[in-house]
Amino acid sequence: MNWIGLVAALTAFFCIWVGHVAVRKIEFVSPTIWFPTFIFISLGLFTEYLSLITAQLPLQTALGIAGITLLWDALEFIRQQNRIKKGHAPANPNNPRHAKILAEHSSATTIDLLKREPTGSPLLLGERLGVREKP
Amino acid sequence: MNYFGLLIGIATLLIIGLGFPLVIRGERYLGYLWWPYMMGIGLVGISASLFISTNWLSVVIGVLGATFVWGSTELKEQAVRTELGWFPFNGNKIKPPFENIIKKWRAPHL
Repeated sequence: MNWIGLVAALTAFFCIWVGHVAVRKIEFVSPTIWFPTFIFISLGLFTEYLSLITAQLPLQTALGIAGITLLWDALEFIRQQNRIKKGHAPANPNNPRHAKILAEHSSATTIDLLKREPTGSPLLLGERLGVREKP
Repeated sequence: MNYFGLLIGIATLLIIGLGFPLVIRGERYLGYLWWPYMMGIGLVGISASLFISTNWLSVVIGVLGATFVWGSTELKEQAVRTELGWFPFNGNKIKPPFENIIKKWRAPHL
């Protein structure tokens, strides 16, 4: 049995999951995006450095994967902000940065349009707005 | 310096990158109800990695499996994206075997 593949798979899965959720939550509340981006780049580079100086193979692999996902998450902050502008993710009116986006982009919305079950057919415009984010 | 972890990290990024078209195309042509099959393929991949003695290959197969499992949890949301008009909607999807049973299960989303 070679456990290295399982270590890599679990690390990749949980880092994608945590990163996916963290980027959305942090972008939602953060007044700037440069600050979380900077933090994630720093953490990612430091994690890669730790991987380089670790001799033990499973740990080195986990750190290598975790570091790259942190660097990807850093890039996701700007992508998430673009989703807010397009209305593909809900804006937070209590966040001054999002309030500005809501004022400047007519496509931006506080409604989470993805929070619904698939119906099997394209939605009409009226149906789209039927579901509001739960308070 | 031990470069294995860094190289594996970069390989992982490329493999996860494959997950994007996998979810988009998979949902378009097959539909989100194929999620248990996609998850199954992923779990088979992760299990197979245990029996591969070459480290880099074991890792690649394991991460590929993890990407399929993650992708299976993204299919439902992708289906909603196509219904909202954010991605092309295809009305003629290939139905999965045991569709009626799968419909009774709650499709995972993380």
